[in-house]
Amino acid sequence: MSDAIIEFDRVSKIYQSGGGPVTALHDVSLSIADGEFIALIGPSGCGKSTLMRLVGDLEQPSAGGLRVRGKTPHQARLDRDYGIVFQSPVLYEWRSIRKNVELPLEIMGQPGPKRHARADELLRLVGLGDFGDAYPHQLSGGMQQRASIARALSFEPAILLMDEPFGALDEITRERMQLELLGIWDGGDQRTTVIFVTHSIPEAVFLADRVVVMSPRPGRVERVVPIDLPRPRSFETREDPRFFALVTEVREGLREH
Amino acid sequence: MAEKPLPSLQTAATSPVPAAPSYVSAALRRALPVVGAVVALLILWEASKLAFGISDQRLPHLGAIVEAMLTRTQGGSGNILLVQTLLNAWATFRVALGGFLAGGLMGFALAAIFMGLPILERGLMPYVIGSQMVPILAIAPMVVVGFGRMGAPPWVAKVMVAAYLTFFPVTIGMLRGLRAPSPMSLDLMRSYAASPAQVFWRLRMPTSLPYLFTSLKVAASASVIGAIVAELPAGAREGIGVMILTSAQFYNSRPPALYIAILGAALVGVVFYGMVALAERLVVRDRAAEG
Repeated sequence: MSDAIIEFDRVSKIYQSGGGPVTALHDVSLSIADGEFIALIGPSGCGKSTLMRLVGDLEQPSAGGLRVRGKTPHQARLDRDYGIVFQSPVLYEWRSIRKNVELPLEIMGQPGPKRHARADELLRLVGLGDFGDAYPHQLSGGMQQRASIARALSFEPAILLMDEPFGALDEITRERMQLELLGIWDGGDQRTTVIFVTHSIPEAVFLADRVVVMSPRPGRVERVVPIDLPRPRSFETREDPRFFALVTEVREGLREH
Repeated sequence: MAEKPLPSLQTAATSPVPAAPSYVSAALRRALPVVGAVVALLILWEASKLAFGISDQRLPHLGAIVEAMLTRTQGGSGNILLVQTLLNAWATFRVALGGFLAGGLMGFALAAIFMGLPILERGLMPYVIGSQMVPILAIAPMVVVGFGRMGAPPWVAKVMVAAYLTFFPVTIGMLRGLRAPSPMSLDLMRSYAASPAQVFWRLRMPTSLPYLFTSLKVAASASVIGAIVAELPAGAREGIGVMILTSAQFYNSRPPALYIAILGAALVGVVFYGMVALAERLVVRDRAAEG
């Protein structure tokens, strides 16, 4: 694929542990197009988080080639090509919500008033307009995770890495957050490329353009399921027979190995 | 987006500022156990004198101590002893504060260096620990005499002794705190391509503050001990250390004086600790309750 923004070419990752080497990823080849929403799904130990962390240069591959926007992941990280959202919000508890959202801009040397305005704009976008002065411990889990998404978007990265961002939320909050995320993603002029790690099948199908099904020991790509549900997706999407068919297809993909 | 904020936030936003009386009653509730403990101690003091027949020499009456406090010093020409004690306490407090600041800075610098260069930590930490195993009572005269020979003013030596006891808890606590950030919060900084200095000041340093204050509280009392010990070697003219030394010499004839000196030492320690605790509340007030 010529317009690939992320290109895995036979990537392997081997950890050295006390009980000998452990293969976390084996021979993974995957091409992700610019603006695509990719969900990575699989049981624990299938290396889906590792795959995401390789893109972020938080870990290095043991073998194979990985290019991010045509560069090494290291260079892409230095160029601030991606924003990351973890399963827990990882807000700095000594900073107000606004100052948390400003953190990346502050590190990138943006002047105070400009980043202040940008933070407020993003907080409104994620529905936290009134909570800029609050501190993280004063917000619920869902609100904290919204703040962490605002923080990741603050510097308009080309790629958004999300590692089970809604995994710790209750089902009701979770479905609402999925809709909101798609709203933000669809809303901009330029769609951000998203890699979304999850262990929820409906979540993966609801959000993604393609669901990458992975299997463990050693972690590898089992199959890639294209999701042809129309966008914008809505509450009704989850009641669409096509949605159920795709959920079944992903579930079967997870079963075979 | 109609998610409700937590109750704590709602009350903070909607309820008016608490009226003064509730502050007063809260202060009373906090003070009551402290006052109660003092009263209980005083009762226990006199009761045990009565019950076990402890002589005035070993445990003077409370009245005798109060009387001694109000007696003029220097054969009736000087201040009353209470004022004299407060002046001495103030002198000791200044030395302790100087030592606390100098030692705190040293402790902070050592922790920052050890954080950045683990090889130095492995090489130097045994000596740092060893330095704390040497009795301060043995070192104080050397430092005082040594600095005296170099022509430094007397307070320099005293501050150094106090600093000697202060830096160690700060180094240990601070180092632990600097290493406390979670792997994910470090990954976050890495994802922004933050420089080591940015990681230090924006993540490691704020994370370490609760640890730092715990060790500063230990250091506060240690620096008071250091200041008192530094006042013991001959030559010092003011300070609680001097008072303890002289009143111990005359204990047989005037027992209350030593108790007053001890009270003075305790006062310095409590005030110092209180200041650090207050600073802690001001600095880390916005965080969630820890522990």
